[in-house]
Amino acid sequence: MSGSLAPRTPGLFALAAAGLIAALASGRPELALLSMPFLVFAGAGLILAQEPRLAADIELDRTRLLEGEAVVATVRLRNDGSDSVQVELAPVRSRNLALDPAGVVALDLPSGAVAQVAFAAHPRRWGAHSVGPLVVRARDRLGVTTWAGRLGRRLDVRAFPREQRLRELVAPMRTQPFLGTHVARARGEGIEFADIRPFRVGDRVRRINWRATARRGAPQVNERHPEHSSDVVLLLDTFEEARDQAGGTLDSAVRAAAGLARAHLARRDRVGLVDFGGTLHWLEPAFGITQLYRIIDALLASDIAFSYAWRNVDSIPLRVLSPGALVLAISPLLDKRSVALVTGLRRRGCDLTVIEVSPLDHISPGRSAADNVAYELWRLQREALRARLQSLGIGVAVWERDGGLGPALEGVNTFRRSVQHAVPV
Amino acid sequence: MKLLAEVGLVVLAGIVVVVCVSLLPDARPTRRRRVAPPAPERPDQLVALERLVVTAGTSAVHVHAYLRPLLVEIASRRLAGRGQTLERMPDTTARELLGDRLWDIVRPDRPFPEDRQGPGVAPQELRAMLGVLERL
Repeated sequence: MSGSLAPRTPGLFALAAAGLIAALASGRPELALLSMPFLVFAGAGLILAQEPRLAADIELDRTRLLEGEAVVATVRLRNDGSDSVQVELAPVRSRNLALDPAGVVALDLPSGAVAQVAFAAHPRRWGAHSVGPLVVRARDRLGVTTWAGRLGRRLDVRAFPREQRLRELVAPMRTQPFLGTHVARARGEGIEFADIRPFRVGDRVRRINWRATARRGAPQVNERHPEHSSDVVLLLDTFEEARDQAGGTLDSAVRAAAGLARAHLARRDRVGLVDFGGTLHWLEPAFGITQLYRIIDALLASDIAFSYAWRNVDSIPLRVLSPGALVLAISPLLDKRSVALVTGLRRRGCDLTVIEVSPLDHISPGRSAADNVAYELWRLQREALRARLQSLGIGVAVWERDGGLGPALEGVNTFRRSVQHAVPV
Repeated sequence: MKLLAEVGLVVLAGIVVVVCVSLLPDARPTRRRRVAPPAPERPDQLVALERLVVTAGTSAVHVHAYLRPLLVEIASRRLAGRGQTLERMPDTTARELLGDRLWDIVRPDRPFPEDRQGPGVAPQELRAMLGVLERL
């Protein structure tokens, strides 16, 4: 800990000096006598001052939690010195972590005593946060000298996003030849009935449809659709966001991505992630719960990174966007590069759906009449953009703050069914 | 009398000292100033449009070069829902649907304004046009 004069000490010396100078100037010893107590007090404080021997430790009751929950950080401060000290302490915290109590905590710590203070830490949003070390300021009994320093260590807290519970998902147009839950268009071994066709050499006897055989006079067999899985790539737009005090579009986008990843993985789909913004990160599609944890870890690290770099479809590695993969682009559609990306993906024949996290909920119209008109123009411009994307065969699910993601996805499935047989762009 | 003055002087000096000591800063930290919550981040798209609405009110060139493409895109998408296009729409139908002023701006054969300093579109006028587009 580094020592320094307390804020009042220079004042004490200044008062003493002023009294002595006044005594010399006026030739009156009473003024010198009057300044003596200040000099003696400040001098004694400096001579008797000893650096306090403090030790601190921070403990968290858990290191992983969900958004909206709180973690308790318990601070233990021990005075190993021979004198009692007055201590003020406050833990260092990351920007999006609120502490209760919020300010500086003051304690009188006798020699050998241990003080324990509990801080409730509330993450304001998902992400990786940290508590500690402690900023500690101690002063001696006379209040002439202070020591300040940092004690303890930094502890990390990971707040996971509250996921959207989804009952309906975007149905992929193409499937992969792995066992899953999507009814494939292809015909093969499965449960869902597809058609009846004449018997061929090699067909199993159990597939014969005896009623159809009796009606047509020749052996007929049932054909079925197999149940396959699909590849799903979550494309998270981190170019720009709209944010107000209650949160931002990126917060909602990450919640949506986490919910979609969990739901698709539960349906035995392979899920990958592309964090498409100022910096580019990706996870190749894979199955299973391990992939879910990988995705959530990657989502926690996602943030808006300002960049002038122009990125397009070519920036994304081919192995991430496997042929036939369903791409779910989660975006507020605020950046030209994001719009260029989704149109570029569609032009390459990608099965694409945009989940538009509406920025309108986060931004209110300006104060002036002109700003109000601009806001209306912006709203209509966004509607026109949405219509342009839909004309390219891209389903757009508009997710507003008050509504759930599920109903928005239901709407987009209806749209996708209507364009399923449309000519590819 | 002199003694009384000296006593008074000492008392005055004592008062001055007490006042000075009370004015000394306390060793405790000063109360932290409350930091105002951050202002909402306005997207660049919206900020650009706010500027455009202001500049379009002052210059015909801005209306033609920057505001017109936006209005054309919005009108095209809106008219597409009615099976109409700006290019093929008869003049009378267009004036009926869009109004004279909006049609003058979005019609495909609109020439570049001869008077570069000519009047633009005031925000109130633009609001009326947007109302027309929204009702389509």
